[in-house]
Amino acid sequence: MKCVIEGNGIKVFGKAILALSRIGDEIWLDPLEVGLAIRTVNSYQSAYACFSFSPLFFWKYVRGLETQNNSQAVKCKLNLKCVLPMFRAVLCRERSVDRCEITIKSSDNRVIFHFRCRHGITKTYNLRYQESEALQAVFPSHLCPNMLMARSKLLGGIVVHFPVSQEEVTLSISALKVTMRTFYEEESDCFKGMNTAMTLHPDEFDVFQIGEDSSVTFCLKELRGLLSFAESYALPVSCQFGGAGQPVSFTVKDMTLEAHVVLSTLTEPDQENSSRPPPGEDCPAEIPKTTASATPQEPMSISDGDCVASSQNSEVFNPSSLMRKMVQLQASPEILPNPRFPPQSALTTPVTPATFKIRSLLFGAVRNGGDGQIAELPSLVCASDTEDDVGTQETLR
Amino acid sequence: MPLSTQSQTDADQYILIASLDNARNLSNILKAISFKDHAIFNATQNGLKVTVEDSKCLQANAFIQAEIFQEYTIKEDTVGFQVNLTVLLDCLTIFGGSTVPGVCTALRMCYNGYGYPLTLFLEEGGVVTVCKINTQEPEDPIDFDFCSTNVINKVILQSESLKEAFSELDMTSEVLQITMSPSHPFFRLSTFGNSGNAHYDYPKDSDMMELFQCTKIQTNRYKMSLLKPSTKALALSCKVSVRTDSRGFLSLQYLVRNDDGQICFVEYYCCPDEEVEED
Repeated sequence: MKCVIEGNGIKVFGKAILALSRIGDEIWLDPLEVGLAIRTVNSYQSAYACFSFSPLFFWKYVRGLETQNNSQAVKCKLNLKCVLPMFRAVLCRERSVDRCEITIKSSDNRVIFHFRCRHGITKTYNLRYQESEALQAVFPSHLCPNMLMARSKLLGGIVVHFPVSQEEVTLSISALKVTMRTFYEEESDCFKGMNTAMTLHPDEFDVFQIGEDSSVTFCLKELRGLLSFAESYALPVSCQFGGAGQPVSFTVKDMTLEAHVVLSTLTEPDQENSSRPPPGEDCPAEIPKTTASATPQEPMSISDGDCVASSQNSEVFNPSSLMRKMVQLQASPEILPNPRFPPQSALTTPVTPATFKIRSLLFGAVRNGGDGQIAELPSLVCASDTEDDVGTQETLR
Repeated sequence: MPLSTQSQTDADQYILIASLDNARNLSNILKAISFKDHAIFNATQNGLKVTVEDSKCLQANAFIQAEIFQEYTIKEDTVGFQVNLTVLLDCLTIFGGSTVPGVCTALRMCYNGYGYPLTLFLEEGGVVTVCKINTQEPEDPIDFDFCSTNVINKVILQSESLKEAFSELDMTSEVLQITMSPSHPFFRLSTFGNSGNAHYDYPKDSDMMELFQCTKIQTNRYKMSLLKPSTKALALSCKVSVRTDSRGFLSLQYLVRNDDGQICFVEYYCCPDEEVEED
């Protein structure tokens, strides 16, 4: 793959990398026909982000002959600690870089970043990458009952009121209002520190679509990167979500790029319209680390090779099976995602023992099948490490 | 000026007296070479030379000409002593780093000779502080035997561009490799870190390049840990000359303008890490 970014695009790219660095430690470079996708996932696998740049974003975009077949598509994983400093000059100093060329040399397992800077100075970075399975979240956002779209300035203006140390917030929606408030695990916690709640009228949003009243709690910290990006370019941000426990997705779109952040949400037994035991008892944070006592709301098993529709614009689509699948699944006792979030809300599959197949709620490493099963769409579940797993074909909308 | 109210007899004892209206003109430049605790002072009629060394591979010198001082009196041909540079800097900045324009610390530095402490009189806003710092027998600075006649390659760059490069250098690399060549890549800084390597190329016709005199391709590696302190001098400077001789020894000379616009020099000498074949 080889692409060339010129002028202002370099700063946009750098800001995208910065936004991704707020979530994960590594990025996956995924050159596709539809453009270059850069993805990351956080260490708890409860947050996923993807920036997709269409070929129009680049001055030149060549996917490369060797990547024509998806089966041989190169998936490079790079450490953000190595990538982010390269863009520091672009982010800090205006007009310091004229041109940026990114080349993936699969023969050497190298990614070469070549910057042409002012005063004729050139910077070349040869980074070794790790070949890795593809990372992709398949999130049927069009199935989410609730959608909000607002100017980034509005969301930025909401988020600024929450202290930077505030990890989780709860976003609630009803026909009359939208509220974002500090999340606290126990009743007693609400008296510690500062609590913030902001209520907005549906009119404040450019799009306000409510399918069901709900409250979702997610990690705000991981969203800030995307919001900063959106604010820099005054792009609207849309938010799709369902009920507690279902992932919430934030999207920023432009003519030449699209950014998604998908965050897992706490399973919140405390729904607004039902009387429930106080948070202390059923609070997700109290779920013990072994899942012996945690039971899924709907136990189910998913067989190998189950197909589930991918996100927008896919042709094969099975809504009922999708909804059935978007429920909690029993996690392996060895798997310990973010202790604050119950195991069931993990978005990706952590490393699994070879004998145990775990299906995550949302996505996981998707391995490309070598037999060109184009009709088969990726499942919402991940591949396991066993070799006899059915390979799944990745699709990007 | 309060400092000049010392008795005349005191003044007679000193073999070296150097005064500055603004002590920062000395402290700033000394900070650029303060990577080790001890510094060797050598004063001559021409001015003050301060030397700091590290593991016999690196030497930094700061030159403050006599003209920089408001008063500079030396009673012998050369006056030499060694002091703790960290302590000296602490004393020079004893009134704190005042950034209020017009307010600065005045300095009178006096030395009686062998065995006597270095005496500093510092004044700011009517308050006078007297510091006496013990001196030691000066060691002989290493003679790197770097002479202009042996210089193979020389470039003079505007510091601004190098500052950016040095601030971005991959610190996981143990060495900094400098390639100088009459043809491409002309002047190249390379690092070899954990994730891969990086190259910064300065073409000979860059507008940052003030002088380009390279006769033969040379590639030398220097320990990053040795060169890191030089970034302090780079930060203060407006121009830097980079020279390598036939043995691969590196000389970095920094042109520093002080608060009053006067010119001082800082130079670093560094031994190469190993012989590297050009590739």
